Amino acid sequence: MKKNGLLALGAFLLASTAAYAADPGVSDTEIKIGDVNIMTGPASFIGRAVSVGSKIAAAEINEAGGVNGRKITIVTEDDGYVPARSFQALTKLIEVDGIFALNGTSGTANVLAMMPLIEENNLPTVVTTAPNELVYNPVRPSVFTVGASYSDAFYAQLKYIHENGEPANPVYGLIRQDDDFGGAVEAGYDRAVKEFGVKDGLRIRFKKGTANFAAEVAQMKQAGVNVLANGGIIAGAANILGEARKLSMDLQVASVWSEDMPPSVNLSAPAGYDYLVADYVALSGPAIDAFLEKAKKYASDEEIGAINRYTYVTYVGLKALAEAMGQCGQDLTRACTVEKLRGLKDFDTQGISAPLSFDNPEQLSGTAVAVYQLNAAEKTFKALTDFADY
Amino acid sequence: MDFLLLLLASGLVSGAAYGLIAMGFALIFKSTGVVNFAQGELVMLTAYISFTLYSTFELSFFPLMLATIPISMAIGLVLERLFIRPMLGEPIFAIVMVTVGLAVVLRGITIMIWGPDPYNFGAGIPAEVVLVGGVPFYPAQLYLIGALAVLTAAGWAFLRFSRMGIAMRAVAANETAALLVGISVSRIHAVAWMLSAAIASIAGVLFAANFKLAPDLWFQGLRSFPAVILGGMDSVIGSAVAGLVIGVIENLFQGYVGQGLREISGFIVIVIVLMVRPFGLFGSRDIERV
Amino acid sequence: MRTGHFKERTAQLVALSDSKVVWSFAGLLLALVLAAPFVIGNYQVTLLVSAMIAIVGAVGLNMLTGTTGLISLGQAGFLAVGAYTNAILMMDHGWPVWLSMPAAGVVSALVSLLVGVPSLRLKGLYLAITTLAFAFIINHVILYAEWLTHGPNGIFVSGATVMGVDLQRGKALYYLTFGITVLVVFAALNIQRSRVGRAWMAIRDHDIAARVMGVDLLRYKLYAFMVSSFIVGIAGALISLQIRFVNIDVFALILSIEALAIIILGGLGSIAGAILGAIFLSLLPEAIRLFFDVFADTNSSFYTTYVYEIRGITYGIVIIAFLRLKPEGLIGLWRDVRKYWSNWPLAY
Repeated sequence: MKKNGLLALGAFLLASTAAYAADPGVSDTEIKIGDVNIMTGPASFIGRAVSVGSKIAAAEINEAGGVNGRKITIVTEDDGYVPARSFQALTKLIEVDGIFALNGTSGTANVLAMMPLIEENNLPTVVTTAPNELVYNPVRPSVFTVGASYSDAFYAQLKYIHENGEPANPVYGLIRQDDDFGGAVEAGYDRAVKEFGVKDGLRIRFKKGTANFAAEVAQMKQAGVNVLANGGIIAGAANILGEARKLSMDLQVASVWSEDMPPSVNLSAPAGYDYLVADYVALSGPAIDAFLEKAKKYASDEEIGAINRYTYVTYVGLKALAEAMGQCGQDLTRACTVEKLRGLKDFDTQGISAPLSFDNPEQLSGTAVAVYQLNAAEKTFKALTDFADY
Repeated sequence: MDFLLLLLASGLVSGAAYGLIAMGFALIFKSTGVVNFAQGELVMLTAYISFTLYSTFELSFFPLMLATIPISMAIGLVLERLFIRPMLGEPIFAIVMVTVGLAVVLRGITIMIWGPDPYNFGAGIPAEVVLVGGVPFYPAQLYLIGALAVLTAAGWAFLRFSRMGIAMRAVAANETAALLVGISVSRIHAVAWMLSAAIASIAGVLFAANFKLAPDLWFQGLRSFPAVILGGMDSVIGSAVAGLVIGVIENLFQGYVGQGLREISGFIVIVIVLMVRPFGLFGSRDIERV
Repeated sequence: MRTGHFKERTAQLVALSDSKVVWSFAGLLLALVLAAPFVIGNYQVTLLVSAMIAIVGAVGLNMLTGTTGLISLGQAGFLAVGAYTNAILMMDHGWPVWLSMPAAGVVSALVSLLVGVPSLRLKGLYLAITTLAFAFIINHVILYAEWLTHGPNGIFVSGATVMGVDLQRGKALYYLTFGITVLVVFAALNIQRSRVGRAWMAIRDHDIAARVMGVDLLRYKLYAFMVSSFIVGIAGALISLQIRFVNIDVFALILSIEALAIIILGGLGSIAGAILGAIFLSLLPEAIRLFFDVFADTNSSFYTTYVYEIRGITYGIVIIAFLRLKPEGLIGLWRDVRKYWSNWPLAY
């Protein structure tokens, strides 16, 4: 009996070490989580913010003892927003650094370029910065997406405008980038316009990198647009609003969630439009205040200055990943993590986003958006609706 | 009619931006035969420096330019002495590639010092809309068009009447002959870079005032290439005019045909024009002897 | 110094090399490259695959710019055409990969005719910008022809299997790329030694004189465009196989400038130079990263905040310094080394 017991114990120990040896990135003391971020180039304000989010989440988890005693280590690689480099970066993270799971995933084209590698290695991946339909449709077994689509975000804002304070003779207009991001924006606009039965004044496409929107806005004015779905981002969006103000256009504006970042607000506010944004994370309120308190503890002043919505989504993503890893106990494998993520239901994110549940076929969550309005004079946001699914 | 006027107005504005940047290119090419692939980055760097001056001293537009232009000229001089001068006599390809490397370095330095966030840059220009002939303009847009007009006139006068300008034309025509006549070619090269940097700073400040200051400003350099080519690479005035032409054509296309055809229209135009006039509208024909 | 080497036949004159030593060293190099995947890790294998794809692209561009003297900034467009053709034929029409890859080259060559015909009278930078214009136009067309190219969504490329071996994974991809690289390099070397190659060099050196001597400029310039784009199209198809996803963003215009940097850094006009340049610039970011990992003080906060920018700036500085010290490029460096070796202990 005793011998059998010893044999069983020995077999169990061997089996568990075999399980440890099976998946890279896990040791008795640490778990390696990878980040492929945009750390160089003009889009690096995204990558910087993501980095800070990962750092704060990891520091908070480690201070509370880590995941079942294992500390989280973040390994970051830069891809400069170039998909070919994302592929290269992920290869390095997997082969050389041996990460266990992936949290930061850069932009849409970038995460799509990394998909074959992710699928090949069954890498648990949480996508929070690129919630594009192409990412979860078709669904990949180990990929979990957090975030509403641009389509839902725009539909939510246009619905709010339609129900509260639509101008007397509404003419809707859309200006969007001519890529997949723009296509998603148009999908939301299309849905809204068809459902509300309002006049679809004009739909304009522009190439990424356009700075001068005078011709486009002139077309808008000619079509008599007074409700604008503004698919421009950052400087582009600000220039569109600036041109509209120059032509003295009266507009209700729905915007991309990149416009709730402080630098974007600084650019757009002078045009004086109190535009709307819809986002799947909170922008103000007690949840964010609590987060910033935490940030002061773990991050430097410079890093706190880089915080924006991308920080919040990355924080939420890593916390969800850690929760699933924690549920696996000592026997931590990629397969187990994926399974626990699939079963994640109503994971509370302390109000930063709606509770996360991945138990659906697309492994998609956080699709609830809240609509906010900018007070252009004071550069603050007011929440108009609660988190809701559209 | 209104719509057409609006399009023409916006065409002049974006054309002026292209023209200013193109003039910088053309000036360097005319005097040194080098295509400065770092021109866009120079525009960006001088714009950021001006932004720092503006934020620190709260200057209005003309004092700001009076402060920025000498600094830009100094930067142009430093770049020329450090990077281009040692390459004198080397194959032209190598020098062009050095400017490409320089572009990479300048981009990195800009983001390193000022960060990737975009900024509003008022440049001390008033912000209320003014009406010119019934068409609304921002003062910054008028300043841009005005700057192009002033610089084009100044450039023409400089090249036609001043000693330095005539010397530059001599160096452009035949460097060896210019040396024989006693012109200091290396000084002309330095002056060309300094003037080009000065034009770049004006272009940068006004572009940022109109279209925001962001670390992807350098891309406008690449987008101004068609203006350089259309005008003829060694014609400074030609580049300015071609810039306006391309700006207007782009906006007319976008307004009447639409659907993101803005950039493509500019390129199609230059392909067609080059088929007829292979050296651009105002460029000088290369006379080759067998 | 070698003596007693007499050329008795024309073939000996145009042979690649008449020295057994050269051939055996070449063979040794090939053997090393063949054996490499068994010695180095997976990540290094993917680096080498990227370097070899860069070699194919560089050799193609060198034919156009280095040998014929036609500067082209449109490489990003031809790469995109090759990659998209390969992807569309493989995924939407089910062609096998050994058919779709040559087809990618052919389509790319045909597109280059469209670019070449308007450009025949142009010289120097005018030609470069016209090719840049075409790259923009190709970009635009790919984005808007959604019925053919899936527009901005991109195409996933998979299923490149030959006789049961998946050509897109690890070692199989390495050997496929290696085989294609060797073929392309030999083809380029042979074309350069042939009538067509001599005509191209005549066009580069002085096209009016070449015309006078009977070289048909129209025909040979178009040949140059077509052959060069065929090779670049195949490089694009290889990229689509490696990254397994094609999209406009993968072929940004910056690739054209990088391609030009490769052949200038390697030495304009020389195929060996193109190879060296491609390897150098592909592995440079990796080398810089390793350099900083070893030598930089990783704890200094200046480094950690700016590490990525510092690497980017170093990349530019290396290019500038290299051109300053050796404007003829890497092939000039190689020739100096060779001369030093064969002349030692004499100076010349």
